[in-house]
This record gives sequence, C-alpha cells and structure tokens, in this order.
Amino acid sequence: MERKRSHNNIIADMLLIIQEKGGKIKPTHLMYKANLSHGQMKLYIEELLKNQLILKNSNSIEITKKGRDFNSKYIQMKEFEKTFGL
Amino acid sequence: MKIVFTPDWFLGADIFIELFSFAILSLFFILSIKNYKMSRNKNSFFLGVGFLLIAFAEIFTILTKLVLYYDTSFTQQVGQMIVTYNIVKSVDIFYYIGFFLHKFFTLMGLYIIYKIPSKKGTAEDFVLVVFFIILSSLFSNIFFYIFHITALLMIGLIISSYREVYRKNKSKNTNLLVISFGLLALSHIIFIMSNLNVLYVIGQSIQLVSYIILLVLIIRITKHGKKKKPQ
Repeated sequence: MERKRSHNNIIADMLLIIQEKGGKIKPTHLMYKANLSHGQMKLYIEELLKNQLILKNSNSIEITKKGRDFNSKYIQMKEFEKTFGL
Repeated sequence: MKIVFTPDWFLGADIFIELFSFAILSLFFILSIKNYKMSRNKNSFFLGVGFLLIAFAEIFTILTKLVLYYDTSFTQQVGQMIVTYNIVKSVDIFYYIGFFLHKFFTLMGLYIIYKIPSKKGTAEDFVLVVFFIILSSLFSNIFFYIFHITALLMIGLIISSYREVYRKNKSKNTNLLVISFGLLALSHIIFIMSNLNVLYVIGQSIQLVSYIILLVLIIRITKHGKKKKPQ
C-alpha cells in the first residue's frame, strides 16, 4: 500500500507541478494534479504564500525564485536519500 | 618497529591524498547535515557523523605525518643533548596517539555508516563494539594489519548493505557508492601487505581513486536537483 504523503512531500509536489507547467498554473488545475481536496488546497496555498514560495494572481498561481530553490533542494535531498537508502 | 610505510619519494604525496580524502569526507558531512535540516531524517544526521569521524581520522594522520616528515630540525637538535632519549620517547608517544586516533575514528565512522541503512542496536551492543574498536586500534600499534583487517570487515559489511539498497533502487549513484567502497576495501587488502613500499603506494593510489569516485557522486547528487529545472 502507498504510504501517506508527508507535509513536505505535498509542498514539493505542488511546487514541482507549477514548475513543470512553466512556472504558472490555474488553482483548479493544481488542485486536481496535486490530488488535494478544496480544504487541503486552501491550507497549503496559504502556507506557500506565507513562505513566499508562490505568488497568487487574479486567476493563476506563480512559483517564485525561492520556490524553485526549495524544489531544487528537495529533489537533491530525495536523490541523496535514495542513494544511501535512508 | 616501523611507524609508517611511506617510501621516501612518496613523502608528501600521501599527505596530499589524505587532504583530498578529508575534503571529500567533509563535503559528505555538509551534504548530510543539509539534508537532515530539510528532512529531519535522523539517519541522514548519523551518516554525516560517520563521515565526519572519518574526516577527523584523516586530520589526525595528516598532523602526525606532518610532524614526522618535516620536524627533523627539532629531533636533530635534541639528538645532541643528554635528554634526547626522554624527548624522543615523548615524540614517539605523540606519533602513537596520533595514529591511534586515526584508527579509532576511522573504525568508529565506518561502524556508524554500516549501522545506518536498516539495523538498530541496543546501547549495550554499541558499548561492546566501541570497546572492540579501541582494542583493535591499540593492538594495531603493535600489529599494524589488525586495523586494516577490522576496516576491511566493516567496509565489507557496508558494501553488503549498499548492494541490498542497489538491488532495490537500481540507482547508478548507489552503484557508484558500492564501487567506491569496493576500491576502499581493495586498498585495505593491499595495506595489509604494505610493509613492501610499492604496495603501500598502490594502496594509497587506489584510495585516491575511491575518493575521486565519491567526489563524482557528490557532483551527481547536487546536480540532480538543478537539472530538473525547466529551461
């Protein structure tokens, strides 16, 4: 059975989805692609905004430089853990 | 009794190899701690501690060899004095302590790295292992090969653990890790016979290649995060 995604995993998934869409995405698309409920989505968006990882425009969400850096570090961390079987 | 087996023409080159090893081990420590800060994965922290201990071991051997190779004026000067014997004896103790710390920290670091992937032990087990590591390091001052045999055993166990990790993840990076530890094991096999100068040089060279592979691994891991960015 798949393990429940951790908080950090969800944050990273959301940022990666935005990045893969060229850095900009509609909120509803993000919600479906990240497999989140409306309530969860609202909470995570608030957190991402608070940490300046994304910017919210009238009808889209944009990833910031800080968000891209977070993604980069997260991917690096996952690769490190995979390499050493941590 | 010989303290080091470095041939004269290789003096200094071996210190360079140990400095390089120290740099790589320190990079792994930094990478592990950065990882721990983000993931809060305790195994990441202990892996960093393992690499840091081996880095300390390299520093102890570098400092000891620097004094041994380049502090000749001091020993020549005291050689003409009546107190020579006691001072030279205290210098001997310095070398033995230096090399003892090198062996102790290397074995401790290897043991911690070996313990990480899956197993968990009790505090009593840990105390017992530390006791045997101290014994092995002490006896290595008399029979130098005991250290290399113990290190070889631990590296063998590490290789076995990471081969299991590779079997599951099929990651090229894990494979590189296995190759690097494999070369490190080979260098210790050669060091067991290192009372022949040429073999000592070959062992050191293989160790250098092993650490170069670890450097490649660091580059591959850090680049991995960057290459996923869209153009």
